[in-house]
Amino acid sequence: MYTIGVDVGGTYTDLVATDKTGRTVFAKSPSTPADQSIGVMAGLEELARRLGVTRAAMLAATDRLVHGTTVATNALLERKGARVALLTTEGHRDVVEMREGLKPDRYDLRTPPPEPLVPRERRFGVRERLKADGSTAVALDSAALGDVIAEVKRTGANSVAVCFLHAYLNPAHELAAVERLAKELPDVNVSRSSDVLPQIKEYERVSTTIVNAYVEPTVRRYLTNLERSLHEAGFKGSLFVVLSHGGMAPVEEASRLAAGTVLSGPAGGISGSRRCAEMLGIPDLVPFDMGGTSTDISLIADGQASLSADGMLAGQRIALRSLDIASIAAGGGSIASVDGSRTLRVGPESAGSVPGPACYGNGGTAAAVTDANVVLGYLDAAAFMGGARPLDRAASEAAVDRIAEALELSRIEAAAGIYKMINLKMADGIRLMTLRRGVDPRKFALLSFGGAAGMHAAEVARELEIKRIIVPTVASVLSAWGMLTSDLRYEVSRTHYGTGRISADEVRALFAGLDQQAAGRLRDWFKGDIAIERSAEMRYGEQVFEIDVPLGDLDLGAADLVAQIEERFHRRHEELYTYASRGQEVVFVNARVAAVGKVAPGSNDAGKASSAAPCAPRGKRQAWLGAWREVAVYALDDLKPGHALAGPAIIEAETTTVLVDHGDRVTVNPLGWLDITLR
Amino acid sequence: MSAKIDPITRSVVQHRLSSIVKEMGEAMLRTSYSQILNSSRDFSLAICDTSGRLIAQADHIPVHVGALPWATLAVEERFKDVAPGDVILLNDPYQGGSHLPDLTAFVPVFDGGKRLLWTIVRAHQSDIGGATHGAYNPAATEIYQEGIRIPPIKLYEAGKPREDLLDLLALNIRNPREFRGDLAAMLGAAHLGERRVAKLFSEFGAETVEAAIEAILDATEQQTRAVVSSWKDGVFYGEALLDDDGHGRTDIKIAAKVTKKGSDIEVDLTGSDPQSTSFVNSSHANMQAAVAMAFAYLIDADIPKNTGALRPLRVVAKQGTIVWADPGRPVTLCTSHPSNEIVEAIIKAMSASCPDRVMGGWGRRFRIAIQGEDPRNGRNFIWHMFQARPGGGASPGGDGYSSIGEWHSVGGLKFGSIEVAEVRFPLHFRQHEFRPDSGAMANIAAASAWRSTWCWRRKSPPRATLPATARATAPVACSAARTASRITTGCCQRAANRVC
Repeated sequence: MYTIGVDVGGTYTDLVATDKTGRTVFAKSPSTPADQSIGVMAGLEELARRLGVTRAAMLAATDRLVHGTTVATNALLERKGARVALLTTEGHRDVVEMREGLKPDRYDLRTPPPEPLVPRERRFGVRERLKADGSTAVALDSAALGDVIAEVKRTGANSVAVCFLHAYLNPAHELAAVERLAKELPDVNVSRSSDVLPQIKEYERVSTTIVNAYVEPTVRRYLTNLERSLHEAGFKGSLFVVLSHGGMAPVEEASRLAAGTVLSGPAGGISGSRRCAEMLGIPDLVPFDMGGTSTDISLIADGQASLSADGMLAGQRIALRSLDIASIAAGGGSIASVDGSRTLRVGPESAGSVPGPACYGNGGTAAAVTDANVVLGYLDAAAFMGGARPLDRAASEAAVDRIAEALELSRIEAAAGIYKMINLKMADGIRLMTLRRGVDPRKFALLSFGGAAGMHAAEVARELEIKRIIVPTVASVLSAWGMLTSDLRYEVSRTHYGTGRISADEVRALFAGLDQQAAGRLRDWFKGDIAIERSAEMRYGEQVFEIDVPLGDLDLGAADLVAQIEERFHRRHEELYTYASRGQEVVFVNARVAAVGKVAPGSNDAGKASSAAPCAPRGKRQAWLGAWREVAVYALDDLKPGHALAGPAIIEAETTTVLVDHGDRVTVNPLGWLDITLR
Repeated sequence: MSAKIDPITRSVVQHRLSSIVKEMGEAMLRTSYSQILNSSRDFSLAICDTSGRLIAQADHIPVHVGALPWATLAVEERFKDVAPGDVILLNDPYQGGSHLPDLTAFVPVFDGGKRLLWTIVRAHQSDIGGATHGAYNPAATEIYQEGIRIPPIKLYEAGKPREDLLDLLALNIRNPREFRGDLAAMLGAAHLGERRVAKLFSEFGAETVEAAIEAILDATEQQTRAVVSSWKDGVFYGEALLDDDGHGRTDIKIAAKVTKKGSDIEVDLTGSDPQSTSFVNSSHANMQAAVAMAFAYLIDADIPKNTGALRPLRVVAKQGTIVWADPGRPVTLCTSHPSNEIVEAIIKAMSASCPDRVMGGWGRRFRIAIQGEDPRNGRNFIWHMFQARPGGGASPGGDGYSSIGEWHSVGGLKFGSIEVAEVRFPLHFRQHEFRPDSGAMANIAAASAWRSTWCWRRKSPPRATLPATARATAPVACSAARTASRITTGCCQRAANRVC
């Protein structure tokens, strides 16, 4: 029986399979941006080959396939989502564009506002209105709704967001509008605010619902196709999609709440990094995931990644909880160019997987970072992808020469310039996640992963005075690997309505209902052990923000249950804000329950046997380290726990190459991972 | 001294201080009680040193932040015996404050026995006593009619609260329950900042932090001077008009003469009109803040807005004018007006010096404060209407933001959620949308103003104050940029600056 993780990046699709014994096999396959599922199916073919079975046999024996996708992210970043119309309460059609009057970057008065995803002409007011207590002030006007739907049809919208005021309390009007839309515009996708984000504060709700409507058709089409292809290829298990908050959901859920998948791709990398922190016993890591098209940087502090609901992506507010990740549009495929003032620029354009860097020989002529790495001797053209896809060194040289001519430099100077520029860009990304938040990166170790990171990690770390770099053996596919280590998580919440202090019986009733709902739902897709995590969102009387107070092992049967819950709130308030107001009224707002399906850490990557034999390089080659030098080349496969070597050196694996310079020291830890100390 | 600070330590200290201020702001937002704070964010936070230098701030309300160094100086002057655990409070515009509703709390941060920094919270109170609810009294002719005056006082002594003083303050304010909740939030935020700064001291050593601060201010100054040097030298003039003072005077002039030479700038406001009998006068600290704000909008957005950035700037003004009133005059409207006009006059002048950086005028203020009783629970309430918002001026970069507010806050004040407002207050918003024809000037999408209709549920009409302006004079249009729309308020045009 296998579990499989699949992470689709802009350039490569990474796949990892583990079997019951913990054996881990991985594969890489070019991504197919037009339809990512083609690349996934091809990658599965390759993965099966490495397992020594047919794809059909592998898929038939796979119980869980976990998938990180960038379909929603790309739709939003490239503005290639659906044509969305908004149905909202009459008199309030501009909420999403007003943003409550708040503007980011206080002192930047010369940047124009972002374009709303739904322009005013596709925002329609419907005659209906609920009061603040959820009761009806104006009944939903059926004739007016009909007129508006006719207008929606005329706009050619293929997706509709429905968000009425106070619908978080009472979804009746939204449900009626959705039903009518389904009848009159059966081919149009509908997102409903009381489903996507059933919470007070209309701006957050309408914006999130619009993003959902914008990405849902694309995500649904993709996931449905993929699921069909998998089934046709013999897969009978469950397909899960990684969500922005690090949990995962089955296809229908992930499609319906597609706004929750915008960070699906990088979230797997964070799970993997957290697992690495645990396995290494190093609680403070800067995960540095450099791929072909983009680089994701995050922060693991005290073993944890941070979650927040303050997210913005591409100028759009998404008020769903998500992991804190900085994505930079730069990677091994970033293209070098020379601008009008004869300044070298690297990126933001990327060669992607098609045509790819010049050395791929797919017709690309622009010099990408990878081409510079070939010219500098860091990458072995003949051994790329284990020799399966040799690189065209001459094409790299020709591409870099064009940059050199424009700058009146030598070929090697131009290549070294490109290498330096991309490293500075990467260092900037790390600054954003550390220094800009007042975190000193020098106390962290850099966790280097993703196909391109190894060649740049040492120089990027040096730039920030980071002294230690860890390169796991699964570095080139760590995100896909991380997906296999994430728990399944299904969260539900319910708002407590009522005046005065909540009673113990009300608390018990709320949680009893939620426990059952969450665990029952998760049981549909998951057969293993399920743990229940409860929390309560509370605040003092007139505050408008709640604190999520974990209830942990609190005994719901306790006689003084409410007093205990309130005491936990006071203590949490004190911890967060330095004080508690024990004399003040405490309001119990939401009960939250997460059902957590514990996933056995499939791959422990339990390490390799140490070797008595000294580590010996497989060969030498010329690499540019300020001057041409002969550098020892090691094979990662030859390095065993306990081995140590000194830079300059190149360490090659099939899908990644690690470069260390003079004075750097590499040791191989008990897991077989590289632990690098910089000079 | 700064030579021995490596650039990474400097950068860590700089960003750590600013992230501390951000965290203080988050705490303030999440813990405060009144709508003006927890929904509209009318508060600012900062870290200053003992000589009143602004060391760190975050994206809050610019007109608050620029005034905090003056408030710090007033505290330093009054108290020579500050001990750990003290908390100092003030609001008086003639002793470091800007206007009475802006209450400011100071918590000292010590390293061992040495006092080094202040964590500071300024928050606009929903009410501050005085003749009218909600702090703005258009009828006031002296400051005593505007609310309770608080000189620098010690609210806590060595960690012990002065309950008697707290009672005195709460007794003079209309909604004591909210006031106490808000004050607890302010002190919580200031103490949170104190804790974080103390941790920074223990991590790097106070001496290193102090040296890093010098290096930060010097580097910021250099960065700012490099920008200013690129502007055209000369003497430039700009003027803006304040519509009326509600007491019969109209078209009150704010005049700026800006002398730019090399990397230095002098702003001279002495040509401005004499002071008013009403609350449209500016206090001294507020005038300083307004000038600093205008300058901050012209330099690069990413230059830290600390004392270093203001070193190239010199301000000249005359007491007795509209921008710097004599002691005892009412001043409550000043953070909005004439702050906006001061900024406008300076930006207009600078359109001849750095045309690629100026922006069109921002719309002006229209605000209402309503006091009444909520029939659903019998509690008194004060609601401040922030929904009526003008747009921001366009710039060479493109259109301005719609519905973004005024120049004194540039998108830092929210009007907040209508759903939350309806839950908390007996209000029902029938319409709150853009008025599409309100963008000024042809073919440029200057930002739209608002249209808002709402009603309150109450048997007898509540009392409202309407401190507002900008029906008569459209904001300035600069040569390189276009103006934002002016507000036309429909039914309330003539009601501005009255108590209804």
